[in-house]
Amino acid sequence: MQYYKTTRGGGRYIGQTRNFTVYSDSIVPPIRVEKKPSEILPGELIFNYGPSTGGLIESVRIALPTPGEMIRSVAVDPAYKLRKLKLTGLSLFDAFMRVERINGYHSSSYQAAFIKAAEDALLIGDNRGIDDGLVLQMELERIRSHLNVLERLCEPAGFGVPYHQLAQMREEVARLISSIYGHRYFFGVHASLQSSPKISPGLTATANGLKKRFALLFESLQSSKIFVNRLQGTGKIEKPWLVGPVARAAGYRHDARTDSPSLNYEGYGFDPVVEDGKDAFARFLVRGNEILSSFAIVDQVISNGKPESAGLKDMHGTGIGASRVESPQGDLFCYLTLKDGMVENIEFCSPSISNIIAFELSMQGNIFTDFHFNWESFGIWISEAGVEIE
Amino acid sequence: MKNTIWFLKGIRNGRKTEKFPSTNPEEPPLWPSRLVGSGTPECPTRAFDGGKWNSGKCISCRLCLPDYQPTGDQSIHNIKGKVQKMLSRSFYLYPVDSGTCGACNTELLSILAPQFDASRLNIFFTNTPRHADALVLMGVYTQGMEQVIAKAYEAMPEPKLVISLGACAISGGIIGKEPLLARGSLIEISGCPPSPYTILEALVRAKEGKT
Repeated sequence: MQYYKTTRGGGRYIGQTRNFTVYSDSIVPPIRVEKKPSEILPGELIFNYGPSTGGLIESVRIALPTPGEMIRSVAVDPAYKLRKLKLTGLSLFDAFMRVERINGYHSSSYQAAFIKAAEDALLIGDNRGIDDGLVLQMELERIRSHLNVLERLCEPAGFGVPYHQLAQMREEVARLISSIYGHRYFFGVHASLQSSPKISPGLTATANGLKKRFALLFESLQSSKIFVNRLQGTGKIEKPWLVGPVARAAGYRHDARTDSPSLNYEGYGFDPVVEDGKDAFARFLVRGNEILSSFAIVDQVISNGKPESAGLKDMHGTGIGASRVESPQGDLFCYLTLKDGMVENIEFCSPSISNIIAFELSMQGNIFTDFHFNWESFGIWISEAGVEIE
Repeated sequence: MKNTIWFLKGIRNGRKTEKFPSTNPEEPPLWPSRLVGSGTPECPTRAFDGGKWNSGKCISCRLCLPDYQPTGDQSIHNIKGKVQKMLSRSFYLYPVDSGTCGACNTELLSILAPQFDASRLNIFFTNTPRHADALVLMGVYTQGMEQVIAKAYEAMPEPKLVISLGACAISGGIIGKEPLLARGSLIEISGCPPSPYTILEALVRAKEGKT
């Protein structure tokens, strides 16, 4: 383990894994915090939303104790669709096929975290081609993920035209990914060195055209008072432990792309997008501007880089490794112990767990009509929160 | 472009909907698609049995390369019986996530994107099982969702269908076992995850009573 100390350093808090508390520079024994069950006050009822109903992409139960219009507190239960993934005892590649399906919509981030942890464990030095490949994957994934969040924000606002135009762009990005990697969700990309990305000559023009159209739509949404009013002041949150776009919307420069040594973003001229509104609108602005900055990184990788596949089938050895990458939702940490090429222990700290806690806190005192805007603005994925990894 | 007259912006964008399924897919992915080849290559989900490829088990891991090659053919669905013709004028779907990674969910939603526009084919989503013609099951079996799925199916009016969408719902994929209700499903849509082309074609064929 080259980058993480096992004594508490001065780094920022990232989250918890099964056996560790993770900071940006160290991993230490876990701190267990008992969650107090919400009590019902006289005159209140619990409004249950989910686990399966319209408006939710994944199965999740959200309990809202309320005296009426105002939401006093929120409890999110991601355990209904709890999947159990047994990864110990598997070869690196067999484990990898399951890891990329922890959160299929963000499989690139999980792939990158796993590959960089394996490289750390096996003391494999940086390979610019593999890093370029992972950066390209993750930035395309970020564009699609943020487009999805923006699309979901337009839906409850009743903004049919931008909603459909964003859906169209999201589909175009999926096709762009498919044209490079052969799969719309990057599955199987690192099976062997033969499956390296294929950059076609027209790719830059396609990406630039998409970026231009998005920039116009993003500008129009910002100048729509009806849309802005639905988001401004909704779901305010400011805590030093926030991660990803939620942290950056609260004025923190938290971004694993600049403060993690795992994946090298040097040379891309990247600077985190930061807003200080702390609300759903600030999160919208951060995501929209990050789409534009991700397009710029994609352009650089396509023009100057030589993206390669990691070829995981050829990796063997023994060691302990850790990595942290910036998934579209925030810091994603992976701890990996390998023995003779087999997984002995693996733990993840997923950003959606931090974002669920942040969402619960931000919802207090808001009203029912704010619920959907606020929920979607956090971009939470239950698949990575409701999973038990052995 | 500061004005926010969305109607005009929509008109200016022009028609984006493809003619699929009456024409071939414009940009089909290679993975997943029909695989052709020979032999029984290495496969983590045992999708090759006696030299025959089983699309319902395939997770597009590419370990079967170069023995098997993807063709781009998106017709990888299996309609096991005849669906009643009365669903042909409108087909309401109620999706349930039993235990997915999220990819099947987003691919199913993609059929509403302008490129596919499922509503032009009279395919819609409903927010309640009481208005649904078909329950679309996605993901592996999970204990917490078992009762939720059973209750949703019970609440549906007759005639009702179960559709298994994706390798996890059909065979458990590489993650676990398929949901209990999926074992009796009439329609299986293969892929990990199935592309919107595969989903749309399977739904259109099912609602028109084609096998």
